[in-house]
Amino acid sequence: MRIPMANTALAERKFIVNAAPDRVWRLIGKVIFSVLPGMESMEILDENNFRSLLRVKMMGFEWILKLRGEMVDISPPEAFSVRLLLEGLGGLVKADQKVALAMTPVENGKTSVVCRATVEDMGFLPRLLLLGEARRFARSTFGAIEKRLQELA
Amino acid sequence: MKISVPEKWDMEFDVVVIGWGSAGTAAAVTAHEQGAKVLILEKMPEGGGNSSICGGNIIVPKGKEFVEYLDTLSFKTTEREILEAFVEEALKNGEWIRQMGADVQVFQPLEVAYPTMIAGAGFPHVRGAENVVKYNIKGTPEEGKPSQRLWKFLSGLVAKRGIQVLTATPAQELIPNDRGEIVGVIAQRESKRISIKARRGIILTCGGYENDPWMKWDYLPVKPLYFLGTPGNTGDGIRMAQKIGADLWHMTRLACLIGFKAPEFEAAFWVAFLSEGFLFVDKYGRRFVNEAGIEIHEYYRELSHFDMEKMEYPRVPLWAVFDEQTKKRGPLSRGTAGYNRDLYTWSLDNSAEIAKGWIQQGITVSELASKISMEPKVLGETLDRYNHLCKAGKDEDFGRPREDLRALEAPFYAIQLWPSLINTQGGPRRDKESRVLDPDGKPIPRLYAAGELGSIWGFLYQGACNIGEALVFGRIAGKNAAAEKPWS
Repeated sequence: MRIPMANTALAERKFIVNAAPDRVWRLIGKVIFSVLPGMESMEILDENNFRSLLRVKMMGFEWILKLRGEMVDISPPEAFSVRLLLEGLGGLVKADQKVALAMTPVENGKTSVVCRATVEDMGFLPRLLLLGEARRFARSTFGAIEKRLQELA
Repeated sequence: MKISVPEKWDMEFDVVVIGWGSAGTAAAVTAHEQGAKVLILEKMPEGGGNSSICGGNIIVPKGKEFVEYLDTLSFKTTEREILEAFVEEALKNGEWIRQMGADVQVFQPLEVAYPTMIAGAGFPHVRGAENVVKYNIKGTPEEGKPSQRLWKFLSGLVAKRGIQVLTATPAQELIPNDRGEIVGVIAQRESKRISIKARRGIILTCGGYENDPWMKWDYLPVKPLYFLGTPGNTGDGIRMAQKIGADLWHMTRLACLIGFKAPEFEAAFWVAFLSEGFLFVDKYGRRFVNEAGIEIHEYYRELSHFDMEKMEYPRVPLWAVFDEQTKKRGPLSRGTAGYNRDLYTWSLDNSAEIAKGWIQQGITVSELASKISMEPKVLGETLDRYNHLCKAGKDEDFGRPREDLRALEAPFYAIQLWPSLINTQGGPRRDKESRVLDPDGKPIPRLYAAGELGSIWGFLYQGACNIGEALVFGRIAGKNAAAEKPWS
């Protein structure tokens, strides 16, 4: 049973990076993938689409989720959004998420980065079981992105 | 010996186009639109050439300042007026595609691979670089890779207009008359030689010489130099043009990536890494370059270093050494481009290629070194040093950026890599009107060329410019050939 949900927020994080938006833009793809070591078997279908497996620890277990990503909005160097379709447990778990990043120039050549994850559609069971875990995962990923960007800036 | 004009021709057209890729299509369609009766000759069983298996991107510059960028990249190997003519027409590439019934989208990927096709300029520090904008034919992955979408669009233009195409029909000789005009061509159709009269002009668009071992040895003396593109590019157009007195240019220029060559495949596999956890070593196990800093088309420059003491190329082959995370991250050969794209599907975690022995595996550095016939001590020292630099966050040896550094952890893997051509750039010299020139700089009457065959890229190459140039000078050649007065 799948219950449509209208953009339930999973996580949001705002931070300032000591680098210009152009530099942040050039780093962001590599940073995202480097903070997700569990991203495996990645197949780049074209510049806007990829498929992969995502190995994550949730509720004390290791889960292997199928991931399909589609860049739905790319406006270099200010913003991009990626739609992520996650599927696991033989199709029992499905989630349609959107992750958006916005980069805005601020004073002294720095960049304000806003990361936002929302879930647009998630089955009843996954929502019951996994929404909290998905929130924790999104928060920790955004935290790791911030940490890595700060290191590199 | 030059062939004489036949008294009786087997076939007769206004314009004959030799070679059916992007340049050939643009030339044929443009000549057809001018009212010419056009024939395309293609030696392979199907058209497409490198256009159908490349990255599929097309340059549509932002503005005329792009000339400054190209002028710097050309190092004066191409006259400025030719670059100006190119930019003038390239500004219309997107509009031409739309007029022809397709739509384009801007190519703007996130940079996640090493090496990667980047959205912008390959040489961003050069004046005018901001004018680099790449497009490809709009579509979804289900509609094919960008180059498949490109070729579907281009071949559709030819089919829609009913332009005659003879595939599996290699052109063999150009026919000059006693005034030096090129008035026809001899081609081979099945086992028969056929003569084809070209009343107005002939356009050579039959690609480079990346699959001709002798020409490569003459002009690009690194051996072996494998190819990623079509096996059909064997320098035929260059030899035909030489025979009738054409000058040549840009013969030592090329676009060259790195590839893995499996003996059972004719072409090499394009290799790229989806994680920063890899490094390159020469055949002795020594690191030699910032692995993340090589412009994607310019590997030949890095790998063709010749050691005068040892009298050898120490980086041919090179080895890429990587770790488990990189092995699992994704296939080393992604199938984005290259002749092998549709012939073999690389396993997503590279395990099938380990099983085949294409990728070597070692639990320790010593084990890996012994498998790839390398001195364990040298490879061990290289890896220790590299990991030390990664942990320090600064590559003092070769300046690899911090974001591209990650220390490698055992187990280790290695794949042997070779410089592998996407295409060559040399061929008959031409002018801004696409006319083929003789060694005195005079046009050879009624003979035109476009595309990879004698392209205008004479020194450094900017990605997406080969297809962009093929469309530009294909259109110019088609228009001018169709405008010639018929000879009699």
